[in-house]
Amino acid sequence: MSLKLDPRTKLFMIFVVSAVVMMSATTPFLWAVRIAMTMVPITLLILEKHYASAFRFLILYIIALFLTFRFLSEQSKGFLMAFLVGYCSIIVQFMPAMITAWYVVRTTKIGEFVSAMQKMHVPDGITISLAVVMRFFPTIKEEYASIRDAMKMRGIMLGGGNAVRMIEFRMIPLLFSCVNIGDELSAAAITRGLGGKVKRTSVETLKMGPADHLLAALFTAALGVFVVFKYVK
Amino acid sequence: MMQTAVEIRNVTYRYKGAEAECLDNISLTVNAGEALLLCGASGSGKTSVIRLINGLIPHYYHGDMTGNVIVNGRDIAKTELYELAGIVGTVFQNPRSQFFSIDTDGEIAFGPENIGLDPKEIISRTEVIAKQMKLEKLLGRSLFELSGGEKQRIACASVAALLPDIILLDEPSSNLDWETIGQLREIIGEWKRQGKTIIISEHRLWYLKELMDRVVYMDDGNIVCEWSGAEFENLSEEETKAMKLRPAAVKEQYAQMFEEKADSGTFVQTEVSDGILLRDFYFSYHRKPYVIGKKRFSAADGEALNLCIPKLFLPKGKVIGVTGRNGTGKSTFLRCLCGLEKDCTGIIVSDGKEYKKKHRIGFSYMVMQDVNHQLFTDSVEAEILLSMKEKDEEKCHAILDDLGLLAYKDTHPMALSGGQKQRVAIASAVAADAKLLLFDEPTSGLDYAHMEKVGELLKQLADSGSTVLVSTHDPELIEMCCDYILRIHSGRVASFSKKSE
Repeated sequence: MSLKLDPRTKLFMIFVVSAVVMMSATTPFLWAVRIAMTMVPITLLILEKHYASAFRFLILYIIALFLTFRFLSEQSKGFLMAFLVGYCSIIVQFMPAMITAWYVVRTTKIGEFVSAMQKMHVPDGITISLAVVMRFFPTIKEEYASIRDAMKMRGIMLGGGNAVRMIEFRMIPLLFSCVNIGDELSAAAITRGLGGKVKRTSVETLKMGPADHLLAALFTAALGVFVVFKYVK
Repeated sequence: MMQTAVEIRNVTYRYKGAEAECLDNISLTVNAGEALLLCGASGSGKTSVIRLINGLIPHYYHGDMTGNVIVNGRDIAKTELYELAGIVGTVFQNPRSQFFSIDTDGEIAFGPENIGLDPKEIISRTEVIAKQMKLEKLLGRSLFELSGGEKQRIACASVAALLPDIILLDEPSSNLDWETIGQLREIIGEWKRQGKTIIISEHRLWYLKELMDRVVYMDDGNIVCEWSGAEFENLSEEETKAMKLRPAAVKEQYAQMFEEKADSGTFVQTEVSDGILLRDFYFSYHRKPYVIGKKRFSAADGEALNLCIPKLFLPKGKVIGVTGRNGTGKSTFLRCLCGLEKDCTGIIVSDGKEYKKKHRIGFSYMVMQDVNHQLFTDSVEAEILLSMKEKDEEKCHAILDDLGLLAYKDTHPMALSGGQKQRVAIASAVAADAKLLLFDEPTSGLDYAHMEKVGELLKQLADSGSTVLVSTHDPELIEMCCDYILRIHSGRVASFSKKSE
């Protein structure tokens, strides 16, 4: 079974989750709301058959939550503890936003996305740039994998023990190939009429279904709860 | 009277920042419905001619231009690029970088959406084109899952969806294998039947046999020669070689080698006294070899294996060509051999020593197809030293000298030409002291002169004692330098034999 959500709902989800991670949860109730929100994209990923990434996210999140509640408190001291606090708070705070974004990128076709942005009257310039960013995620992944292979082959995975070189060796070839691909990509896109004065049409027809309305309502409520508890009370 | 589709009048063009003109007073007229082949060495200006016609010059690549280009009665310099979209379509060289969408349907619809066609019309067009090009199986897929050949077919379809009268192809076969080149030929044939004007720039010439009406030979920004299609096919091998062109036809013996034929029985090889032994090379992408503890693959796993080579002797100091279609396990074989796939259990035995797992890296070294991923430092010299366990500048200079790179030792690798970059990558393989050198399609997209150089280099490496494995789709390269041919089919060795003279 797969649940086809409207891209506008997905964008709204990203917006709400990102807003909520910016506000710290202080009471058990707020924690519960936030955890429940995180489960939504995970469930959606499972419905879309992205089992591996869903479970990877889920396990990381559960471990971080468990550590946070069981072992860490404001009195935690020592290097290991400091490290754990850092790790856990990054995961617990930002994982929900990351996983929602991941879900959206993995399940939205570029055509749908462009069509949704047009319906919301976003200028074409912004839409196309964002579409290119989406198009580039898988490319970066592919390029990065080949660069890692090449580094393994040359035995320089650790940059000869030099952290700066470790990053340099990864980033420089990656930037070069992304620039090249980007250049060829734009040339190919404009020979097929991108950027014309004609109004673009779209074969994707968008319609908000019951699931969209339900999710939008739930996320609005969650946002409302956070705002009320943090700033009104 | 024949209608004129493209007219290039006395065009001279120089790219911004370049020192020399890349097109030198060129004039060319192409009639409607004609199929024209542009051939010539890299840098002879073929791609620039394609760019003149699709308007990327002067609208996207800026530079100094004189002269006019008229396409279907429009002056290109005064026409906006998006207005040309429905008139001229271009299939580019690299399948990776010419699609805009993530899914196949969206890609075919992309062009028509841009020119504002009615969605219903777009959907019916997509169906018609998918049927014409036999793409039904590819619809609804993610483009990132497709092979290079499949991507290129989608690229052709998405250009055709705009129904252009003129179709340009810029080295479209560079990343394709024998079979998908055949499919590309069919697509071009179909376009020809539909009466479209076709202009192809290409190094691989054999697959265009009998499709071309006219052939134009370019050298150093000039049009030097012109033939009719039939005249061109009758040129002798000496004549094409003299022009640094790849042969216009493939010799029968090599054609057979690439054709997929049913293989009978299992392959057994007799022992070679002085060779490198590969033992127990089993690998599967789908099933991880970890169930509880570590499970080892064996030949008994049969169909589940993507690679299954129980035993194979590679003769030392020879160039071995590895052939087989894309996706049949050539790259998997090379990746396992050089140790990039950690889960592969294979053992390499050479001179009584065994190399397992990680140690296969070091004994073997793979030069990848896209060399840009393989260069990391800011000078050629540093690049070679990086590969050496003990930094030895003298040895480094000797290696560079052998490969004709000494003059560039302080140059940034990214500032070199494609062929030079490839040689730097080879130099670092030599510096790493690898005994087994693997090359993944080193000649795709190269012109004849560069291919010849690569061929000579491979021979030279073999003569100095290394064993060279080279995967390739180019019959010309095999003829040039291979001593043995290893044919892989579904991850198994289909045949391994000395090249017949």
